[in-house]
Amino acid sequence: MIKYQKDTDNIVTLIFDMKGRNVNVINHELGKAFLPVIKHLQLEKAKGKLKGVILTSAKKSFLSGGDLEYLYQANDPEEIFRFTEQLNNYLRDLERPGVPVVAAINGSALGTGFEVALACHHRIVIDNPKIRVGNPEVSLGLMPGGGGIMRLMWLLGIEKAFSILTSGQRYAPREALGVGIIDEVAADHKDMMERAKSWLLKNREGRRPWDQEGQAIPGGTAADGGMAEKIREMAAQLASRTHNNYPAPQYILNALAEGSKVDFDTACRIESRYYTKLLCSQEAKNMIKTLWFDFNAIKSGENRPKGFGKFRPKKVGVIGAGLMGSGIALACLKNGMNVVLKDVSKPIAERGREIVSRKLKSMVDVGTIQAQEMDDMLRRIKTTEASEDFESCDLVIEAVFENEMVKQKVTREAEAFLDDYSIFASNTVSIPITKLANASMRPSNYVGLHFFHPVDQVPLVEIVRGDQTSDETISRAFDFVNLIKKVPIIVKDDWGFYVARVQNTYILEGITMLQEGYPPALIENLSIQAGMSKGALTYADDLGMSLILRYENQAAEHYGAKYIQHPAVAVLEKMIHELKRPGRLKRAGFYEYEQSNRFLWPTLAEHFPVTKKSYDPQEITERFFFVQVMEALWCMQEGVIHSVPAANLGSIYGWGFPAFKGGVIQFIQDYGLTEFKQKSKLLEKAHGPRFKIPSILKKIEKDFDLPVNMPKK
Amino acid sequence: MTEAYIFDALRTPRGKGKRGGALYEVKPIDLLATALNALQSRNALPTEEVDDVVIGCVTPINDQGYNLAKAALLRANWSHRVGGIQINRYCASGLEAVNLAAMKIRSGLETLVVAGGTESMSRVPLGSDGGPLLSDPGLINQINYIPQGISADLIATIEGFTRAQLDAYALQSQQRAYQAQQEGYFKAALTPIHDRNGLVILDQDEYLRPQTTLDGLAALPPAFAKIGAQGSDQMALHQYPMLEKISHVHTAGNSSGIVDGAALVLLGSKEKGEAMGLKPRGRILATGNVSVDPTIMLTGPAPASRLALERAGMAVKDIDLWECNEAFASVVLKFQREMKLDEERVNVNGGAIALGHPLGATGAMLLGTLLDELERRDLQTGLVTLCAGGGMGVATIIERV
Repeated sequence: MIKYQKDTDNIVTLIFDMKGRNVNVINHELGKAFLPVIKHLQLEKAKGKLKGVILTSAKKSFLSGGDLEYLYQANDPEEIFRFTEQLNNYLRDLERPGVPVVAAINGSALGTGFEVALACHHRIVIDNPKIRVGNPEVSLGLMPGGGGIMRLMWLLGIEKAFSILTSGQRYAPREALGVGIIDEVAADHKDMMERAKSWLLKNREGRRPWDQEGQAIPGGTAADGGMAEKIREMAAQLASRTHNNYPAPQYILNALAEGSKVDFDTACRIESRYYTKLLCSQEAKNMIKTLWFDFNAIKSGENRPKGFGKFRPKKVGVIGAGLMGSGIALACLKNGMNVVLKDVSKPIAERGREIVSRKLKSMVDVGTIQAQEMDDMLRRIKTTEASEDFESCDLVIEAVFENEMVKQKVTREAEAFLDDYSIFASNTVSIPITKLANASMRPSNYVGLHFFHPVDQVPLVEIVRGDQTSDETISRAFDFVNLIKKVPIIVKDDWGFYVARVQNTYILEGITMLQEGYPPALIENLSIQAGMSKGALTYADDLGMSLILRYENQAAEHYGAKYIQHPAVAVLEKMIHELKRPGRLKRAGFYEYEQSNRFLWPTLAEHFPVTKKSYDPQEITERFFFVQVMEALWCMQEGVIHSVPAANLGSIYGWGFPAFKGGVIQFIQDYGLTEFKQKSKLLEKAHGPRFKIPSILKKIEKDFDLPVNMPKK
Repeated sequence: MTEAYIFDALRTPRGKGKRGGALYEVKPIDLLATALNALQSRNALPTEEVDDVVIGCVTPINDQGYNLAKAALLRANWSHRVGGIQINRYCASGLEAVNLAAMKIRSGLETLVVAGGTESMSRVPLGSDGGPLLSDPGLINQINYIPQGISADLIATIEGFTRAQLDAYALQSQQRAYQAQQEGYFKAALTPIHDRNGLVILDQDEYLRPQTTLDGLAALPPAFAKIGAQGSDQMALHQYPMLEKISHVHTAGNSSGIVDGAALVLLGSKEKGEAMGLKPRGRILATGNVSVDPTIMLTGPAPASRLALERAGMAVKDIDLWECNEAFASVVLKFQREMKLDEERVNVNGGAIALGHPLGATGAMLLGTLLDELERRDLQTGLVTLCAGGGMGVATIIERV
């Protein structure tokens, strides 16, 4: 479990090596093993037979974070608090004045793993750009709880600690050095161990600033006037960003402010108490469930057709050098592939390379990649106007504009140079893949790969299966999306696929409320404050109302006689045809556009008078959420999407459904299954059959596993 | 029941509340001690007769800390038997001190009480005492607590007050205050501040800008747009989601000024006054204290006034003159609109926009100004009200006797 080696200089090296696991996980097991080691070290220290300690790992990574299986199920505050305090005590025992300890970080150290490193007096990381260190807990709705927050605060000050801890960022070794969370980088393992030893020989006493008289938190405590003012600003910034929906960053800020005013041990206890409260929160459970377990289920291929070997594309062709095409090209380059970027002429294709180059440069500036990596990537992109350059491509993706004829033309041109084993993908938004595949020489190799704009920020790709798309093609498309580190969800070739279809119901509901006489600002604010990434009317403008209407017409066609016209349709038709305000593209929609500003069209109230004198914010918010949940359930029922994890992640990454709810299906668990059913009935009665629960819920509800008996908020 | 009578009300001049302001060199204790000395000598007061001294102070730390009321009493050589208490109801502290004094007297337990307030904003800046409402991130986000300037802009946004309306109000405050100063309406209440040699440091309000014009006001930048954009606007929208955005219409010109100053009011029972030969000038008819939504924060004056009116069995028409603290122009405009007041009866000698708002002292100053003006115009009744942090509002109705 923990190997103990002592050398002739009385320096002990502790090597973490948990049995039966690929990584060292911080759990009770490790805790149990750590206690006697610390006791032994203290004994040696007392006898004067210990000069220093090096902590390192025998695994590929240093130490990983907490055990998420445990964290997801844990709901006993007493037990969580005790466990956290125990970890705090171990780490305090390790760092309390006396023998200095070096963390020799041979691989990634994230979350609790990095908290252990922070409790060492010195941190050295091997300079391998694949290694990641830091405290990204917040991205799973969590926070450090082993004193990591207080140690970062003491090392870097409240402001920096807040920004690091709430960014969720994982740092490459050199970035980490720049940010100040590690002390040295080493060329390789040997260099790391030598540096560790040499530091220990030079530093005979290990004493952290918080264990020394006269030391202060850089930048001051929350009791200092200037810092108090900054904390108020940070609180306001946080509130405007998260609308108080995410407890993790709020607790981090609270813990920093409160912990800065007391001694270190008390501060750590404050941190533990917030951690305990957070871990028992519904928000944290939702986020762990979806962003960890669902994510892993998808990435490991639960929906990938079985029995096909792993596809490893070396060379990818991209047609269309606009923002979308160049974004796709960049994603391929970043993950080691060669790219052929084609457009109608070489100079236009070159523009795509320039977009890629600009993005890479900014990444070099921030320190995410090194200049050498950028040069390497730029060498792997070839721009062209000739389809013959696609020869030997394993995959070609077209991202030309949304026109059936054009898409079919570029398909035929490219396919002439592809072999039977390569696949062709269309990045269409709204043209059925089956239809586009008609022009293909190999319709079974033809698939939809629906990327979202901006490609480098949206980690989702819809894989659209046409009528003739083969299982093998789907599995390859899946492997490709995985390779470029995006989440692949396989969807049916119906209108809007999954994301746009469910998103459309959200937009239509907002438009319906406008029709009902709610103030437009209220509709927008309540949806954003509920956690949606954009207001419904903003989405309508951004996507263009014609597209929204087209999706709804396609739904009408699909359901035929069973279709009941959505109340929003009349509004859309009025906006498009009568008022000639179809959306942002025409710089006239529900909003008015002036340069880079937008504001609600002042004349809107003349056409859609505000008649509601009072309103129930909860009712409005719930209508927004429920209507999306229902449509997602319909998508599951109709085979548009194939699993709960895919539905959840697709909702968060695809159209900005709030992550703290865990996604569109997890929402039901968050709300409470029984309560959800009751509320749906009321909404159905008040607003119509779009709030009727599809029967599929009965099938999926038996797998609902949110820990019960959660402490109430 | 015993009635609470007002025998005297005085104040120091208001100095600009920053380095370079006339009173910056004056210690807060001396500001208050000067007022105490003046009150004693104007009324030939045997100080041992005073039951208590209640002093409002909003930032009671450092030079104003550790109970400035008692410290100033000792400094002013008042009888050792007189105690002092410092209270904090934010901007309404000075008026609250008067109300507490009235309650002491009306209860019959005490018969002669000094009330008032003091604030040296130049030496002890607002907020320098910290406190959860200013810097506890958990609380601030729990209740959407925003800076007061954003609250004032929020009122203007909801009420539809334009920048021009607010500026016009600000100009009127400047004109009225200047006229009152020129005509000597403030003279009777003013106690100059002298140095240790008897030389005058300040003998009249120095914050006024009589040269103010509408154009000049219009040219000022919005004071709260930047902090609004940093997140406070969104916090306001959390509470008021029907608004599209917050219009930032308040500036340094249509908000209250930061100044230093102190004020005192001498209150007592009728019998005590007669026994001591003090002439009653007015009496406290009723008080009201309320609190409203902490985000909009500054709309307390109307409900506080309604409460006081109800307790006095009076209606709006029964009040001759109104003083509503000009914390921000929108506060007064909202108050006038909500109470349906004739603006010719509100803040007739200007207010804090022109004269400044020495937080803890303002309430007591406004009460004195109102009483002086009722006498000058030979009117009977007046109401003073102030908005205060956290959503609080305080009102007091007085009547001449």
